[in-house]
Amino acid sequence: MSMLSVKNLTVFYENAIAINKLSISVNKDEIVGVIGPNSAGKTTLMNTISGLMLDTKLKEDRRGGIRISIFGSVEYLDENITNLWPDKRVRKGIALCRERHPVFGESDVEENLKISGYLSSKEQVKESLSLVYDTFPKLLTMRRRKAGLMSGGEQQMLAIGIALMARPRLLLLDEPLLGLSPNIQAQLVEAIQKIKQQTNMTILITEQFARPLIPIIDRGYVIENGMFAFGGSKDELYDNPDVRKAYFGVDYDEE
Amino acid sequence: MSTERRRERIDRPIKAVTDDIFCLSSMREIAYLVIPRILPIVGLLLLGFLVPTYWRKVIVITFIMGMMALSWDFMASCGLTSLGQALFFAIGAYSSAAVNHYLGLPIYLSIPLGTLIGAIISTACIYPALGLRGIYFSMVTLIIPLMLMRVVETTGILGGTEGITGLTHFPGMFITTTISMAALWATFFGLRRLIDSDYGHIFVALKDNDRAVEASGLSIRWFKVQAIFIGSAICCFCGAFMTHYYMSVGMSAFAVDLSIFPIAASVVGGMGTLAGPLLGAIILGPLSEALRTFGSFRVVIYAALLGTFIVTLPEGLFPYLARKYQQIERWVEAPGGISED
Repeated sequence: MSMLSVKNLTVFYENAIAINKLSISVNKDEIVGVIGPNSAGKTTLMNTISGLMLDTKLKEDRRGGIRISIFGSVEYLDENITNLWPDKRVRKGIALCRERHPVFGESDVEENLKISGYLSSKEQVKESLSLVYDTFPKLLTMRRRKAGLMSGGEQQMLAIGIALMARPRLLLLDEPLLGLSPNIQAQLVEAIQKIKQQTNMTILITEQFARPLIPIIDRGYVIENGMFAFGGSKDELYDNPDVRKAYFGVDYDEE
Repeated sequence: MSTERRRERIDRPIKAVTDDIFCLSSMREIAYLVIPRILPIVGLLLLGFLVPTYWRKVIVITFIMGMMALSWDFMASCGLTSLGQALFFAIGAYSSAAVNHYLGLPIYLSIPLGTLIGAIISTACIYPALGLRGIYFSMVTLIIPLMLMRVVETTGILGGTEGITGLTHFPGMFITTTISMAALWATFFGLRRLIDSDYGHIFVALKDNDRAVEASGLSIRWFKVQAIFIGSAICCFCGAFMTHYYMSVGMSAFAVDLSIFPIAASVVGGMGTLAGPLLGAIILGPLSEALRTFGSFRVVIYAALLGTFIVTLPEGLFPYLARKYQQIERWVEAPGGISED
């Protein structure tokens, strides 16, 4: 059953086209990767699915900035949510962990997590907190640390934790491995897999460099210049020489 | 099957070669470029010299307020959001009055000297606060004029509550109008040229990312000092000019109105554009005068207008007009927008 399906999505920033007739679908209990280089439209796609694009559009309209036009549809559990505001989408179970780990810098780790758990009941918050601390034990040791003073990797863990606290059914991760060392990347990928196993969340994840992700994703889409370039199962992606060369950093002849 | 359309915005095809080199092929295109530049200059000339005497006084004050707004906008572009343009105005006013009254210097010396001395004193006053950013800097600039006002009141220096009176007047209304208009245009074009120069880019960069400026090997503090000096010199000139225009200076030079007006003008006209604050001042100056017939109720009308304006057009009047003038909008079929079912 298709949980999320994006149909013919087209997004313009003024006259520049960021996403061009892109259709993707995510089935329940899958981890789906969206792989593409810079300027492929990954972040635009994520923001459109989570609804943040509507907010950006409103703000730009208000100050006479660039005009954003969105066409096509985003459907979630057979309901058209293209024009639904981001907060409503979170209530329906879509949570986005944005690019470059934005956290509430002035609050400490636990406060950060609790802010995001505001919609849940007390028991649920407790449960989610223990899930987050279980997944990222490092966060537990720095519960009272100000989030703004933590390292990039720790902030990324916290950012994912914040998204988890909203108890999503569909978790969107926008470049979670950006700017992290291979070691931390491996830890995060492991953690994402663990989250998947423990909660049965459906996960959509974008990345530029796909190698660390390949063990955990079920399917993947390769997008370039806002357009669908290639798609298929993990093995199909890994076996395609062009994809391998561009996004896995291995040459076909190497082996 | 439905066709989806989007509204496309494109620049008018006038700038054919580069941003700097225009390729003009008809009188129409020449007119398109020249009229918006000529119109305000001619308009202000007519406004300054042809209106009845009472309104000419209003116009002179508007010009001076326009300069205050330009100065505020310049400082805001440098990341120095001041809530106390009145401080600079008053320091300039008192410096020029003191030079004229105590040293007996003539008007053509006291105004330039007042401007210079005022700018130096203003910069010195603000110097300790230059390490502060954002709201902290604004608070300090708001407090200092209020404090200095009471200092003048209690110690009785510089005329105390009475102020300094009997200063030299300008020779005539024609000269007054000419000087104020010339000063306004000089400030406007001067600042615009400054901001566009390599030197001016540093000021704008101060607001954008002052750490990057520091990382380029430039001292933030030194450039902020220069920005304050330039900004306050403009306000000091305004103060010096108004002192001689009124032939007296008093504690009202520190009034909060003088700090608020430039901000209101910049917000109405569009911050960070220089032309915007000027436009804002030219609208708000006569407007607040015209509303005088309503007595003290005018503040309510004025505030309501200002509020409506800010809510409905937050980008400001000038950027809005410029956009409408320079761009064509049309409906186009959105590629990819044709749904398949």
